[in-house]
Amino acid sequence: MLAPSAPAIPADGIQLDRGALSAQHLQVFYGRKQALFDVDIDLTPHTVNALIGPSGCGKTTFLRAINRLHDLTPEARVEGKILLDGIDIYDRSIDPVDLRRRVGMVFQKPNPFPTMSVVDNVTAGLRLTGVRHRGKLQEAAERALVQAALWDEVKDRLRQPALRLSGGQQQRLCIARALAVEPEVLLMDEPTSALDPQSTARIEDLLGSLKQQVTVIIVTHNMQQAARISDTTAFFLAGSLVELGPTDAIFTNPSDPRTEAYVTGRFG
Amino acid sequence: MKFPRVQTVLTVIAAVIPLALLAILLFLGSYAWPAIRFNGLGFLFKLTWNLGNLYANPVTVAGQVVPRGAQYGILVFIAGTLLSSAIALLLAVPLSIGIAVFLTEAVGGTLRELLSFVVELLAGVPSVVYGLWGYAVLIPLVAHQIGPFLRSALGFLPVFAGSVGSGYGLLTAGLVLALMVVPIIASTLRDALLHVPIPLKEGAYALGATHHEVVREVMLPAVRSNLVAASILGLGRALGETMAVLMVSGGALNYLPHNIYSPVTTMAAFILSQLDSALTDPTGMAVRSLAEIAVVLFLISLLVNLVARLLIWQTERRSRVAHG
Ligand SMILES: Nc1ncnc2c1ncn2[C@@H]1O[C@H](COP(=O)(O)OP(=O)(O)OP(=O)(O)O)[C@@H](O)[C@H]1O
Ligand SMILES: [Mg+2]
Repeated sequence: MLAPSAPAIPADGIQLDRGALSAQHLQVFYGRKQALFDVDIDLTPHTVNALIGPSGCGKTTFLRAINRLHDLTPEARVEGKILLDGIDIYDRSIDPVDLRRRVGMVFQKPNPFPTMSVVDNVTAGLRLTGVRHRGKLQEAAERALVQAALWDEVKDRLRQPALRLSGGQQQRLCIARALAVEPEVLLMDEPTSALDPQSTARIEDLLGSLKQQVTVIIVTHNMQQAARISDTTAFFLAGSLVELGPTDAIFTNPSDPRTEAYVTGRFG
Repeated sequence: MKFPRVQTVLTVIAAVIPLALLAILLFLGSYAWPAIRFNGLGFLFKLTWNLGNLYANPVTVAGQVVPRGAQYGILVFIAGTLLSSAIALLLAVPLSIGIAVFLTEAVGGTLRELLSFVVELLAGVPSVVYGLWGYAVLIPLVAHQIGPFLRSALGFLPVFAGSVGSGYGLLTAGLVLALMVVPIIASTLRDALLHVPIPLKEGAYALGATHHEVVREVMLPAVRSNLVAASILGLGRALGETMAVLMVSGGALNYLPHNIYSPVTTMAAFILSQLDSALTDPTGMAVRSLAEIAVVLFLISLLVNLVARLLIWQTERRSRVAHG
């Protein structure tokens, strides 16, 4: 395993900032098929981290390990550790429901709740945690929609069904929905792959400011996108982490020949 | 060349169904026409069903030849039909939701398949079997356990107060009907729940929803229109059910139910039970009046289905999927 060259968490493990994530000897199996092999990774809080690699290399599998979505798949099994702010999220004492409030996720295809209005979508997470106060919900909704760069477009149609929004707006709505519960980490699985260039650009613009609140981990098949938006890039191949480093270095001067072959478009 | 022809054939086939419906309605309507003329609107609002004196010379009223003293009012049967079906639906909908959620969320694999199969089997059990079961099991249960319990627990409400009676009546009919429609609603709803898109469910989980909350906040709302459709399917069956109701309803004639234990008669059951005696009417007016009941029942079912369609359209329009 190659040593990550990104700045690591201080050795004493005391990190005042939220959103420090690391994986240790992470392995994921689907039944008897192994999808992730001994992944070690360290991510700095408040950075945007791109995951790249050919289709089927385990990027989604890695993301779903971080919010324990694999718990929902009976045949999936996770081994090793993932530390969030120094605590293993697979520890018995951790409730996956609480964890998922700290680790938000945005999916490849926009998946707003179809029976809810725009504003109800944004506040869904808060209402699940028991927040009922209308003023508070309204305030949180506005804040999250502003963060997701959607407020101006929807402020006059908050009560409309979420599905009336365009695809790009729906995806930003899903980002707002994830942000409303103020997570520490935001997982994004190819969030722009189903969107037009303009919507994609808006979401990319948004990431730079988002990292003030959260640690972003974003899967992308678009090399230019990874280069534009991320501080750190991790290259996966066939279930293993090949290389992790500052995005500049990965794209201009990778240390592994397989990384170079991939980022220069020679395979994948 | 071939394509338009296939389409024409399909259009014709599709047109057969509404045409058949129309034909049935026209046939029933024209057969019942003398009765419709004789009975007028009072048919729907009068309590008394009296074949009149079948041995005296018939008289002519409103241009129709009828037995002397004949009077046909079906308010009792309309009330019996609507009330027993309403009770059935009130009981069956929550129970079916529970069963459907249980089948999709609480059990998996072969056990789920097995139980679902059993539920679907129940939907195919002949109604006379339900009737017999209602007669043998439910009637004593209602007379000695359920009835007295309801009266002591809810007796402050007039519907639950008064004499519990013999077990034949509205409550028992409602229970039997509920049992008959639960499999229909539950299996339809189960299929709908199984088809709720996985990304939608995962979206809720990823937001920190518990399993329970995913079901309540995302899955059940997503199948709302299916629930309405399934309930109407069930209601249709309950409204038209004949045999099972006949066996447990007690057969009220000429009076409205005064509490939930009262004997009732439904329109369908009444047609079946009265056909023999109606045929002894030499003027034929009794049979034609029975046919008029069938027309009314048909129209009620049609109305119920139309309302359901409207409800479904509305819920679907409010959440039209613009799959992005
Ligand atoms: N539920 C599952 N059951 C069995 N195998 C699975 C399952 N989900 C994923 N896999 C397998 O695990 C491997 C990694 O899949 P994963 O979805 O993580 O890839 P990915 O890098 O996200 O690919 P893509 O870029 O196409 O989204 C693949 O070989 C895939 O076939
Ligand atoms: Mg993927």
